[in-house]
Amino acid sequence: MAIYDGYKAAQEHLVEVAKACAVAAARAPSLTGKLGLQMEIITGDDLKPMMGLLEKLGEASMFQRVDATTYRKLLDAGRLPPVLLLGADLTEAINWNCGGCGFPTCAEFIKYLRRNKGVGIGAYGPSCLWKVVDLGIAADHACACAAMHRVEVRIQFSMGACSMFLDRLEGCSFVLALPLGPVGSDIWFDRQSWQGEADYQTLRQIVIRGGPNLAMGFTGGGPPIMKTKQRWWENPQFMKIEKDDEIVEKAVENQAAAYEIVMRHAGVLDEENIPSDQD
Amino acid sequence: MPRIPVNEWPPNAPPDLAKKENALVVARLMTNAALTAPITGGMPGSEAEIVYGEEDIEIVAREMERLAHHEVPKKLKKPFLYEAAMLRESDALVFLGNFRAHSSPVDAGCGLCGGEPNCSFFYERVDHIDGIVDITNRKRKTAIKGPLCMLRAHDLGYAVGSALWIAATHFVDAKVSYALGLAGRNLDICRNSEVVVGVAIAVLAKNPFVDISPDYHLTNMTRQIDAVRKTAIVPRQLSMVNYLMHDPAAKSKKDDKKEEEE
Repeated sequence: MAIYDGYKAAQEHLVEVAKACAVAAARAPSLTGKLGLQMEIITGDDLKPMMGLLEKLGEASMFQRVDATTYRKLLDAGRLPPVLLLGADLTEAINWNCGGCGFPTCAEFIKYLRRNKGVGIGAYGPSCLWKVVDLGIAADHACACAAMHRVEVRIQFSMGACSMFLDRLEGCSFVLALPLGPVGSDIWFDRQSWQGEADYQTLRQIVIRGGPNLAMGFTGGGPPIMKTKQRWWENPQFMKIEKDDEIVEKAVENQAAAYEIVMRHAGVLDEENIPSDQD
Repeated sequence: MPRIPVNEWPPNAPPDLAKKENALVVARLMTNAALTAPITGGMPGSEAEIVYGEEDIEIVAREMERLAHHEVPKKLKKPFLYEAAMLRESDALVFLGNFRAHSSPVDAGCGLCGGEPNCSFFYERVDHIDGIVDITNRKRKTAIKGPLCMLRAHDLGYAVGSALWIAATHFVDAKVSYALGLAGRNLDICRNSEVVVGVAIAVLAKNPFVDISPDYHLTNMTRQIDAVRKTAIVPRQLSMVNYLMHDPAAKSKKDDKKEEEE
């Protein structure tokens, strides 16, 4: 006989849900039949290195900052969710010669890959179209399984990429992360954690960036006045298209800093020379 | 009270058509699930189309057979032919496409398409003016005109995954197929998409998409039944007696006498 604390028991159960999601992903139908799905469930302190890298990247990029903030606040509240990682090597050709990757044959793809395999902000490439689709099917099954268990989840490129760069799921060219919960609501959508993180003006700016036409004044003169405030005609602000070295520099510096974290984790850099990113 | 008999046999008889209508309901729900599947940045990019009815499914099956014989690599010939045979036992076809993969990339520099930290791999290989892709030249040199935005293609996986999940949840068997998607796209199904995936669904006692015997396009049950129609007829004509006048099974008086003598 025992009485369990409901929330505590529910939180503990999330690892079991993560396992169920892994079962669903592994059982997902596939077009190629050879996706080579790899999975890991990361919990508690083992998430910290990835959170550190995500926070660093978030200094220059909004979507990563939003996720980093949520993870940080969940850690502070002792509510970190288990995270299911799903990945595969999508750079392996399947010899269908479909042309979807941009090369006339799989042989040409392989030839290019050998010389030019590289990495973007979150994945290696080039990739085989059908393996890319297959990983989507598998990841979707994990999401659907979580939804059936009424757990709030969001499939994440951000945390997935950080995990891949810090050597989780060896050999994968693309990794996705699926945090299972934590228990409760308004975690990854309508995020409570984002409250107070951005003021009204910042949020207004974000809205205008997404839909500038809505804020544009008369467009038949010179650069249009942007209606960014109540009395928009006073001290007007204009939309101009110009180079911005500051943004470029910030991005480059941020990438270098993120790269340092990755290299230190890989043991390539000397521990003493670089400040720690962990608490 | 209306009565609706439901039975998978004989094919396309009213009880089977009633069953197919039920499957069509699931196909419709699958397309809804595909549209609500997780998608990069919440940006709409999926389209769906259902093909239903014996005649229209046959058109798709024939395109798959044409592809098998004339276009796809040798290793795909049999899979394409087998899957065409499976279509003839299917109740409905669900097609899912991503209409942005070839026309409007995510532009995030993810690296999936070419391993670059920008989208140069894609834009250097397509017609575009200042990043606006011109998709009006639809001539293809390969089955699929690449390159594609792989993050969008990845989105298509989620759409397909959710559709398959709905089928499985309703205990309707489903088969996801490259052959079906390619044939459908060639027939202008999901016509805004360069990359299309097809899902055949079927309600049968035996899942028609698994446990496939060798040379299935020739050995499937439809061919076996046709063989029965062919072979069972001839022996009848070797017993050309009038059944009103004579029953070969009845004993004759001669036979009775023989038995007595013995």
